[in-house]
Amino acid sequence: MFTRLYEQIAADPINLAAAIITLIVLVAGAAYIVTYPRLFMLGLKNLRRHFLRTALTSAAIGVLAFMITTIWTIIFFIDLITVERSKDLKIIVTYRWSVPSQMPITHADYLNPASSQFLPELVDAQGNKLYGPNDFMTWSFYGGTTDPAKITPDTLILFFVMEPEQIIPMMDDLGDLDPKLVEALKDKPQGCLLGTDKLKALDKKVGERFKLTSINYKGIDLEFEIVGVLPDGRYNASAIMRMDYFNKSFEQYARANNGRAHPLANKRLNLIWLRVGDRDKFDQIGSIVMKSPRFSNFPVKVETASSLVGSFLDAYRDIFLAMKFVIVPGMLVIMALVMANAISITVRERRGEMAVMKVLGYRPNQVFLLIVGEAVFVGAVAGLLAAGATFAFFNLRWGGIPFRIGFFPVFRIPEAALMWGLAIGTLTALAGCLIPAWTARSVKVSEVFSKVA
Amino acid sequence: MAEPIMHIRNVVKSFTRGGEEITVLRNLNLEVAEGEFLGIMGPSGSGKTTLLNLIAGLDKPNRGEVWIGGRCVSTMTESQLAAWRTRNIGFIFQFYHLLPVLTAYENVELPLLLLPISSQKRRDQVLNALDLVGLSDRMYHRPGQLSGGQQQRVGIARAIVTDPTLIVADEPTGDLDARSAVEILNLMGELQKGLNKTILLVTHDPRAAERTQRIVHLEKGQLLESEEMQAAGLMAPSDSFQAKAQG
Repeated sequence: MFTRLYEQIAADPINLAAAIITLIVLVAGAAYIVTYPRLFMLGLKNLRRHFLRTALTSAAIGVLAFMITTIWTIIFFIDLITVERSKDLKIIVTYRWSVPSQMPITHADYLNPASSQFLPELVDAQGNKLYGPNDFMTWSFYGGTTDPAKITPDTLILFFVMEPEQIIPMMDDLGDLDPKLVEALKDKPQGCLLGTDKLKALDKKVGERFKLTSINYKGIDLEFEIVGVLPDGRYNASAIMRMDYFNKSFEQYARANNGRAHPLANKRLNLIWLRVGDRDKFDQIGSIVMKSPRFSNFPVKVETASSLVGSFLDAYRDIFLAMKFVIVPGMLVIMALVMANAISITVRERRGEMAVMKVLGYRPNQVFLLIVGEAVFVGAVAGLLAAGATFAFFNLRWGGIPFRIGFFPVFRIPEAALMWGLAIGTLTALAGCLIPAWTARSVKVSEVFSKVA
Repeated sequence: MAEPIMHIRNVVKSFTRGGEEITVLRNLNLEVAEGEFLGIMGPSGSGKTTLLNLIAGLDKPNRGEVWIGGRCVSTMTESQLAAWRTRNIGFIFQFYHLLPVLTAYENVELPLLLLPISSQKRRDQVLNALDLVGLSDRMYHRPGQLSGGQQQRVGIARAIVTDPTLIVADEPTGDLDARSAVEILNLMGELQKGLNKTILLVTHDPRAAERTQRIVHLEKGQLLESEEMQAAGLMAPSDSFQAKAQG
């Protein structure tokens, strides 16, 4: 969990900002409690005094933080996959004229450095290939259902069809996969790796078998043996199977049908991935692939993963922009206003107490800190709890937010969301309480008591 | 008479209300000796509370100076005043002004939290103050669980807990029934005698004023001693507390 948290902080400036704010809140909070333990306790007692108001304010902040965490998870994930990473830049080769991409399986040979048909243009003057075998991966997609009479998300499985040895070097977020799982997959031709959610939906265990009726390759129905489980995370609803098993199934289909090939046999390769490292290599290799006469029958296009996803998500662009720049900021403003309203009422009611504290020798800044401390405590705790509840609710129940967009079945709430909750709770509380707290700081004792008397 | 602990010199205080300037205190002068129990009387709106606020550093004069314990209060900044008040002023309010969420113990402890003393010493001082006002057995009660008289005792304990130079009491019996008022006045008298505290008592209540050693009257923004009041015809001899006491 901490590794993932670190990666999320390093990958996104918002997460970094949230981490810094969280750190500041924790350090400042600890310093406040250590320096003024009694003032802190007084603040807690003040919050408990109007328990209903505190509870309702916390609930309002919590609901808004819940909504923001949910929305921002989707935005965060989309941003993550549509922003190009300068390191680990990969080319995706797809069929130029249709979506989804469907290409002949031979296309892979031209781009596979381990193949004898590897394009000579991709070898430099010294005889070095422009990328190695570990920088190459092919994907086909095989989808099927365990119950053709009842096709539901629980009975459906979508496989990444690929070579087992390409999983660790090329699959995003699977670089740390246990190599034993790859070996287990290599050992069993019908073997497959399942995501945790799929395993649960099938109600199966490792070592058990199941049959699938294909939904995208009619007549290619396959039997599998579960050899392992994919690590918890973005592949929870996915599965991986072997390319050779997939290819042989087409040969079997032809044998069983008097030599007649499957209608999609020549279009069963969906994507080819090449890791090129940087933008210059991307331009160089992309240009070679695009110009190669080998692909003239089935022309291809090259793009980055982010641009591929980006063009797919183009239809949702306005929705995402509205979520990011209107709905989320609007909710943050509402959070600040809720806090401002509650703290203003509190300060108005407690003007006499502020005045007494000043008479007893409390400095204006200490009165200010007392009010700010109360507001920030409510905001931070409500925000943290709400984000924690969002994290637990969605991730444990569905493996993420079940907001299906194209090939994204769920959006797993990142661990960094806990910091988002605390940070937005703190910042909005701070923004909302500043003016009321300043009013409390500026209470003129003589005026308060002249009114009281 | 002991050395004066408080000097008020030519103090002028005015307010602007509705565009009109109202002068409440006019060239007011006062000296109070250490250990003195001084009563300040005057009709409503005569400026008694304003005078107390100036003495406690809660407000500033337009002109003149307020010196307490060798320091000029009227020139201090707000933060300096706050720090100074903790050690030098104990304030007793008419309406007690205890923090309702805190127990009697915690209310009394509140001013001590600002001082650099150990928690053990703080505890000793709080317990001592509560013992002096006879509320040791009520220390864990909140204000809402105490009678008016008991709340005012807590207020007095809070005022004396820092061992201040000056105790300022603004109508401390104004919100109490007769019996409780007598108890509070007895307590203040005992404190003044037992601890040799300097106390300024603002009151309307002649019975309260009787307990003081000296009474000054605030009239038209200036202070008059009781004798001066009688001479000016502002107070009949039969109304004087001394006369009452003698009668």
